[in-house]
Amino acid sequence: MDRQAWTTLFHRLLFTSAVWIVLSGTDAKALAVGAFAVPAATWLSLRLLPGRDRLVLWRFLRHFPSFVGGSLQGGVDVARRAISPGMPLLPGWVEVPVRLPDGGRVALGAELSLMPGTLAAGVRGDRLLVHLLDTDAGFENAIPREEAAIAAMILGTGKEVGP
Amino acid sequence: MNDLATYAFTSIGLFFFVAGSVGFLRFPDVFSRLHALTKADNLGLGFIALGIAFQAESWRLVALLFLIWGLMLLAAGTMSQLIARDALRERDGR
Repeated sequence: MDRQAWTTLFHRLLFTSAVWIVLSGTDAKALAVGAFAVPAATWLSLRLLPGRDRLVLWRFLRHFPSFVGGSLQGGVDVARRAISPGMPLLPGWVEVPVRLPDGGRVALGAELSLMPGTLAAGVRGDRLLVHLLDTDAGFENAIPREEAAIAAMILGTGKEVGP
Repeated sequence: MNDLATYAFTSIGLFFFVAGSVGFLRFPDVFSRLHALTKADNLGLGFIALGIAFQAESWRLVALLFLIWGLMLLAAGTMSQLIARDALRERDGR
């Protein structure tokens, strides 16, 4: 194993240990079960998601406030449309070319589902199918920005993935 | 003071759950309904977790509440994409 692989292993171990302690506390019994569960979870996580698309943690944290802001806007917007008597909706579709690896595309889809007015519904070729709640509201303008943020998180560089 | 924060934030959370359910019933098609469920319920659970966090006796419980919220976000984001993809396939007859 090279140095990179050890670093990845160490980060995953830290992460799974933290999740275990949050889930089950620091009782002796909980730690005893954790001594088996944590290595097993770490092994499984490395099998399912090898460390080659390195998630840059601080970029993830840096994106968190704008994610919370966006999901607040998204929730308030959809609640307003649901409750207002006229129910202002103008549903429609856009297809957006996306230059992200598969995992990144799923992450972008999940994120868009929580942002105002957008909902990902799979891909056609290399284009992401996005449902819009209101085609006049300009919700689709946020998509390239979110794509760049996700690209920055998994690749460490957001600049070469433009709109 | 903590109780007040709990009342305030859980009420906001309940409001979003109600709004999401209203949207789920009123919106015209499966895609619009998914918007209502994912976005409003995300905020609903987030605010309820925030409200309950003011009653937590330790930082571990606060972390646990937000871990639950995070897992719910992941599940909502993933499930809504799967349901939307499937509904689109069915609609287009593919």
